[in-house]
Amino acid sequence: MEMKRPGGELASRPLHFIWIADSSGSMGDDGKIQSLNTAIREAIPHMKKVAEDNPNAQVLVRAVKFSNGAQWHISQPTPVADFAWADLTADGETDMGKGLELVAEQLKMPPMSDRALPPVLVLVSDGQPTDDFEGGLKALMEQPWGKKAVRIAISIGQDADPEVLQKFIGNSELKPLAANSPEALVKHIKWASTAVLKSASSPAATADVPAGTDTANVPIPTVAAPTVGTPNDGAQAANAGTPNGAAQTADADNQNTVDDVW
Amino acid sequence: MTTNQIEWRIIGETVPGASHIRAGIPNQDAILQVRESGRSLPIILSVADGHGSPKCFRSDYGSRFAVKKSAQIVGEFLDERRGNFDLTEIENRGKDYLPKEFVKKWRKTVEYHLKNNPFTDEEFKKLEEKSGANARKLIEENPLLAYGTTSLTVAMKEDFVLYLQLGDGDILNVSETGKVMKPLPEDARLLANETTSMCLPKAESDFRFSVQKISGAQSPALVLLSTDGYLNSFSDEVGFFQAGTDILNMLAAENGFDAVNENLKAWLEEATQMGSGDDCTVGIIYRPDVLKKPDTAEGSEIAAESSVKSQTEEVTAETPTSLLPVSTENPDDVTVTITIKKDKNKISAPPTVTVNNSAQESAKSADKNAEKESE
Repeated sequence: MEMKRPGGELASRPLHFIWIADSSGSMGDDGKIQSLNTAIREAIPHMKKVAEDNPNAQVLVRAVKFSNGAQWHISQPTPVADFAWADLTADGETDMGKGLELVAEQLKMPPMSDRALPPVLVLVSDGQPTDDFEGGLKALMEQPWGKKAVRIAISIGQDADPEVLQKFIGNSELKPLAANSPEALVKHIKWASTAVLKSASSPAATADVPAGTDTANVPIPTVAAPTVGTPNDGAQAANAGTPNGAAQTADADNQNTVDDVW
Repeated sequence: MTTNQIEWRIIGETVPGASHIRAGIPNQDAILQVRESGRSLPIILSVADGHGSPKCFRSDYGSRFAVKKSAQIVGEFLDERRGNFDLTEIENRGKDYLPKEFVKKWRKTVEYHLKNNPFTDEEFKKLEEKSGANARKLIEENPLLAYGTTSLTVAMKEDFVLYLQLGDGDILNVSETGKVMKPLPEDARLLANETTSMCLPKAESDFRFSVQKISGAQSPALVLLSTDGYLNSFSDEVGFFQAGTDILNMLAAENGFDAVNENLKAWLEEATQMGSGDDCTVGIIYRPDVLKKPDTAEGSEIAAESSVKSQTEEVTAETPTSLLPVSTENPDDVTVTITIKKDKNKISAPPTVTVNNSAQESAKSADKNAEKESE
């Protein structure tokens, strides 16, 4: 005798992916903001593919921009299948702290639920914060989901502050990724939005972990890309270990040496 | 009705997670029911969720050891107090004694298993591939980590219900009118897949424990235990609570037991496919007497009695043959009478130990060894 299933609506677990993008005036130099727009737009199909591979995680994407203050650039958590990137424009200061505060506000419970998967936060910046970065980071880390989030940082050009980005990451085993050319930026954005997303939605990431036995809630794939301080975008990448397919692709891509532009 | 006349029935099921199937990971949940004879109490139901972290690569064993040890310890604790139930004493003594003793016995069982089945190069190789070299170091420092699991146990006595939980997962009480509540407090530490665990050094201090008095009809009509894969399959907690109420109503309908029993597996499979992707396990204990009208209760009872003997099914997680241990059990395992069966009604057959088919021979072998050692 077949019966109707008990209980309310079933749903896969939400995985929030948030871009935190620098749209300060310096991002307008040397085509950096256009490169960022292109890189994110090109990454979207790859994100969709990764999301399709794990139907038990619902990937929801949105974006914060910071310059003079911070605003939600794309405010609605959008299913990746429906996500479209709207171009950023560059102007103003680098109020990174305010950007983190905005994210912190959205990581409170509610609106977050405790059945969510650890969110992925990707911070992209080309400069030094001009506001209270520490205060913004504190607000973020005061939220349980802020602490549990997978935090990735990408620096654009030589003027970015690696120490600030490392503080945001909060894990000494994971370094900020240095993008000194449009090609490198594309690769890093692709890595963050595919390899990291794949890992964050994998069975290993959704599996229970004994408290305190992991430095990260989600196994971060080996960085198949140069980190801050690498002289160019090719040398280190060729030697990087690659535990999954997405990272391997990035690794292969990185074997072509790219000259620094920024 | 006096409390001594209360009859409890049990239904349970576990299914592997949809994402576990895709990734070739075994079901790491376990469920166990213990009842010494057909009608007597206590009746004990325990579920456990072996952690899915790559570091916990033997958690399917850890969860099975957990349900056995928990049932054993709680059973012995209640047996010592047979006929002399001082609820205050049980509460005061149980909250310290049960976690401590349970953790001690679980660790002993794991250590015995590990002694007879040392970690293999293949296990370490897989671990390092998935989690890096540092993960191996963590396991070598704390081998219990490989067996990490949660544990949820409920014991029914004539006058009270005992609840014992470590880690995530849920215990729900559903009243006669369908109202749902949680008998244990929330644990704020259980977020983002992090959980307290049997494998952690201070596990005994992380338990939640409660004793609920039963007075006639003043008792839960249904108690539901589930691993977190089930709750996480619902879009919100309200939907999960609704499952408790819905199951109560289904059981109250004609042939309700058979209907729920036959459909539970399919429901859990749907839940993991459409929801969390995690292993899903649900155990249900309920009181038929408060669900049925007096004029229909007797007829149902007779029908239920007639279907007992041929209707038992195992409900432990499947374990691949390749993972079977040479010897799985600690000698203490044979000191408790255990049934690992999905109870159609009341188990009238003598208590037995039943493990899933592939593990049965090794379990028998372990029991024989244990008996010899006990002698």
